[in-house]
Amino acid sequence: MAYPYVSDHEIRIVSKYFGDPKQRRVETYVERGGYKALEKAFEMGPQGVIDEVKGSGLRGRGGAGFPTGVKWSFMPKDSGKPHYLLCNADESEPGTFKDRELMRWDPHQLIEGCLIGAYAIGAGHVYIYCRGEFFEVNQILARAVEDAYAKGYIGKDIFGSGNDLEVTVHQGAGAYICGEETGLMNSLEGKRGQPRVKPPFPAAVGAFGMPSTINNVETLAAVPHIVENGGDWYRGFGTEKSPGTKMFCVSGHVNKPGNYELPLGFPLMKLIEDVCGGMRDGRALKAVIPGGSSVPIIDAEESARCNLDYEGCIEVGTMLGCASVIVMDETADIVKQVRRMVDFYAHESCGQCTPCREGSSWTAQILKRIEEGRGTEEDLDTLMEMTQQMVGTTICVLSDSVAAPVQSSIEKFRDEYLALIRRGERVGAA
Amino acid sequence: MSDAPFRNPGWAGNTGEFDLTEEQVRGDDFVGERPKDGGHPSGAGALPYMLAEKEPEAELFEGEYQERFEKILTRYPTKQASLLPTLGLAQELRGYLSPETMDRCAELLDLSPAYVRGVATFYTMYNKRPVGRHLVQVCTNISCNLAGADEVVDAFLRYTDTELGETSEDGNFTVIEAECLAACGFPTCVQINSRYYENVTPAEVPKLCEHLKAEGE
Amino acid sequence: MAEMVTLTIDGKEVSVRKGTTILEAAKQVGEEVPHYCYHPGLSSPAMCRMCLVEVEGAPKPMPGCVTTVAEGQVVNTQSGEARHHRQGVLEFYLVNHPLDCPICDMSGECYLQDYVHAEGRKHGRGREPKRVFGRDDFGGDVLFYGDRCVMCTRCVRFMSEVEQDHRLTVVERGNRSVIDTFFDEGLDGTHFHGNVVDICPVGALVSKDFLHKARAWDLTHTPSICTSCSQGCNIDHHTRDNLVQRLKPRENLDVNGWWICDYGRHNYEWMNHGDRLEAPLVRGGEPSGAMGWGDALRTLLERAADKKGSVKAVASPFASNESLGALKRLVDALGGGDIVYRSPRAEDEVTLEGFPTLVRRKDLSPNTGGAGRLGMKRVGDDEGHGGLENVANHDGVLIVLGDGLLDQAEAFGADAGLFVYLGTHGSAAAAEADIVLPITSHAEMEGTFTNYEGRVQRFWPSLDAPGMARPAWLVLGALAAELGRGSVVKTAAEAFAALAAEAPAFSGMTYDDIGTRGAVVNESVSLTGD
Repeated sequence: MAYPYVSDHEIRIVSKYFGDPKQRRVETYVERGGYKALEKAFEMGPQGVIDEVKGSGLRGRGGAGFPTGVKWSFMPKDSGKPHYLLCNADESEPGTFKDRELMRWDPHQLIEGCLIGAYAIGAGHVYIYCRGEFFEVNQILARAVEDAYAKGYIGKDIFGSGNDLEVTVHQGAGAYICGEETGLMNSLEGKRGQPRVKPPFPAAVGAFGMPSTINNVETLAAVPHIVENGGDWYRGFGTEKSPGTKMFCVSGHVNKPGNYELPLGFPLMKLIEDVCGGMRDGRALKAVIPGGSSVPIIDAEESARCNLDYEGCIEVGTMLGCASVIVMDETADIVKQVRRMVDFYAHESCGQCTPCREGSSWTAQILKRIEEGRGTEEDLDTLMEMTQQMVGTTICVLSDSVAAPVQSSIEKFRDEYLALIRRGERVGAA
Repeated sequence: MSDAPFRNPGWAGNTGEFDLTEEQVRGDDFVGERPKDGGHPSGAGALPYMLAEKEPEAELFEGEYQERFEKILTRYPTKQASLLPTLGLAQELRGYLSPETMDRCAELLDLSPAYVRGVATFYTMYNKRPVGRHLVQVCTNISCNLAGADEVVDAFLRYTDTELGETSEDGNFTVIEAECLAACGFPTCVQINSRYYENVTPAEVPKLCEHLKAEGE
Repeated sequence: MAEMVTLTIDGKEVSVRKGTTILEAAKQVGEEVPHYCYHPGLSSPAMCRMCLVEVEGAPKPMPGCVTTVAEGQVVNTQSGEARHHRQGVLEFYLVNHPLDCPICDMSGECYLQDYVHAEGRKHGRGREPKRVFGRDDFGGDVLFYGDRCVMCTRCVRFMSEVEQDHRLTVVERGNRSVIDTFFDEGLDGTHFHGNVVDICPVGALVSKDFLHKARAWDLTHTPSICTSCSQGCNIDHHTRDNLVQRLKPRENLDVNGWWICDYGRHNYEWMNHGDRLEAPLVRGGEPSGAMGWGDALRTLLERAADKKGSVKAVASPFASNESLGALKRLVDALGGGDIVYRSPRAEDEVTLEGFPTLVRRKDLSPNTGGAGRLGMKRVGDDEGHGGLENVANHDGVLIVLGDGLLDQAEAFGADAGLFVYLGTHGSAAAAEADIVLPITSHAEMEGTFTNYEGRVQRFWPSLDAPGMARPAWLVLGALAAELGRGSVVKTAAEAFAALAAEAPAFSGMTYDDIGTRGAVVNESVSLTGD
């Protein structure tokens, strides 16, 4: 059951209780089978949990798609140090709005996932780093965590198992880059949220210098279901390489934008036409950004061939990212939208690495000039070349994210740029 | 504009297939009134943005707020890690982070004032100067932009008779553009203080502002 | 034996310790990998992205400053790919750089200028208006030109990691980031902040003292030792027109690392003072008046001939080991006697927390270590005054070397049988001196000082001596030799050899051994005096 629209194509696992206010209450959650998976996890032992999650093929839902079980297995077994599990709830990728729904409708599902994850990696403390702007979500989470403490699902000696787990809700303060895992760690430690150089990797030196693992909200929300029903059950959904279901955040020019939980591998056009009720006002599709603003734009022809899983997106030259499908119809002004995305990255660049700090704002300036009809064809060459210098040359991948929309849009929608350059005319309205 | 009573367009309960009240969507009925001392320490750092009036001269952390500050300290292995929630709490009381406020927070956490300034300026949610009673942040990023967010910004500016970032003469509004607020399915999303107002159209802006003004009185 | 790793850098095979960074390993094969944020005395944030090198097999270019070497690794720091990356990064640096080299103090020693000249694009493609931050007074000696900044954050890290007083920070983020202090707090009251100017790779942080004073390419750099306390920090004198224009630290990990204190840094004006003694002067009897060295020294020896047996001398802890040694030989040759010295002392030490070897010592003279080891006694108070009561009225031979006698009465030495004054400047208290000999300051001669821990360190002449002034060791050595003590010494090295032959603390040491890094004295010799 997605929110705010519902589709028969959905397979509702993590979004089952969206739109049901009762689900927030711990009593209801437990009545409906909640915290059973945690109890089961304690019986399975940490390695048992890791193996089950590995077997499920669950891949990180924050954008990178790294296998979760494998990530957990990187954690040292007998480090003698405190371990931390960090839940990345700093959702800020333009086009993405799934974690907010997951947290506000079903907070205990996330808490249970966090507890199981923490148990699996030997962490005693979970920090849920929740985006600062989410005041409501933070309050819902704080209340839910408090309830779980009161009921003994968090705290000392949970279920008499001898396991102690703590959960803290940490509210961010407004910085996209804190969604990058090491930026988040710095921010959690009370520093400027600048990403760290890797290596060392978080499993060795993470939050507070201790071994840490960081997982996205949606990833952890799926964990209780995998533990309860088994990895093979989860593998029954999706494709071989991209198993399971995924929240698809659809926005832009469709009739029913919203979150839909669908099996991975779902065809993009079917999502737009059948699930989202088709294009707004019946207009023609012009372009889609299938994974949030950091991935390359695809045109209508590529969209028609695109299946929404990690591999399917790569086949058409883009990425699934966090499955944030931004749909643009024929009225969309590609140059303006690309410029707006680049403005965003320029605003959110942490400012450490030179290519990103200087390159993102320079790119935005050039795009603005083109948009205003004062560009030249050489500008397009400059853009292509300089954004190439921003790929793979920085500590984190924010600067790669500037290059993706710029390069893909110049390749695929060069005519729109040229039209502005030659005639000072803008294509489309918004 | 019709004369119908104000109905918040922003809780996304007015689109889709669910029949829910605003309180149900927002979780107000579930959360209730959070205690000023922060309740359980696990959530003491998560802010409800509950003080209607901010006092730039307010004492920092007295009584219940002192308790809350101390609870926050217990949740992290280092004192420094409490900096972000501490600054949030200070802004909650004083409305913005003046140099004096940063200095005091630095003192409380054994940090250098310059360090605190460096951190505070990194994050957009800390106001470095006073803002209006209602800080209106309009998302103009891609999904909202495709739905006409620029016109929503213009509508707010027209109504408040301000430029971006300026505070209106009556002290009620400061309008700024914001980056993606993660409500892309409900464009245009506008955050006003702690609240999200979703599916906002230019036509609804005056009514929304009137409502906010009335609420403040 | 440390574990070694063998790798190939730019076609050259090299073995380095395990854990060495590619950037440091490249230095060993003679390749400089351009960099801004990396500094050997600070942590490495790897954020300037200048030191990206090509590591064969790696999917992305790697930052040389934090990537450690691996066995069999093949690294290219000068390949087309590596240069291409640097060219790209350099263009980004110039997008908002004001290119105000003609009026920038750093011009000529600026790493942005150097790298762009070497590897940058011929023409920039930036056509947009540049970002403007303007200037800011950071307090102390530091002025900040925000527009020139490359955001390497070396200054921020110096203050937080080395001085450990986190006064500087990066405020804002993205391309609005700028270095700043806590509003008006500034750097006032910190003791090592001058170093942020030294480590700034561009002209963003400049010294107010040096502002618009000289162009970098007009300056001559001469290695020297700081004279402001007994730490013995290694420094360079930067001179032009026979004037010291500024002092800069010179790396020596055993003494001062890469740093010096602000007190020492700004204490150089005295080396430029005019009104110097320029010719030997003889008073009373015949011959008298200003005269050449030969006549003056002959007269001195004649007059001293019947005064043997009762000598007192006042030395200065600013005199070199060689000069002090020569004084001792002369005093012995004249029949022996006490040599005392005076030295000012500060109330407190000032330690550089992140490099605690470096301390602004209480002892504010560069060579009390040498004077003490030669058996000279410290007298007087912490101002470096008084303590000369027994000397002032001495009726035998009285020699004053380098002590300006500023606190002494005009009648000082009036009763002396022979009063010889060797100094750089005249002194009211030397009015009664029979013979006044012009000597060089340490900046005008070669020599050594012995620091607080007994490290003997060499310095070189950075200024031409005025008129006929000569190093004291040359003058005193010639007199002693004439009196049968030792042979005539013609160079500073010979003067040191003469010292080493006589003083146990320095025995076995030579100038070659001491080199540019210094060497520690034979510590079995106990110190006398203070």
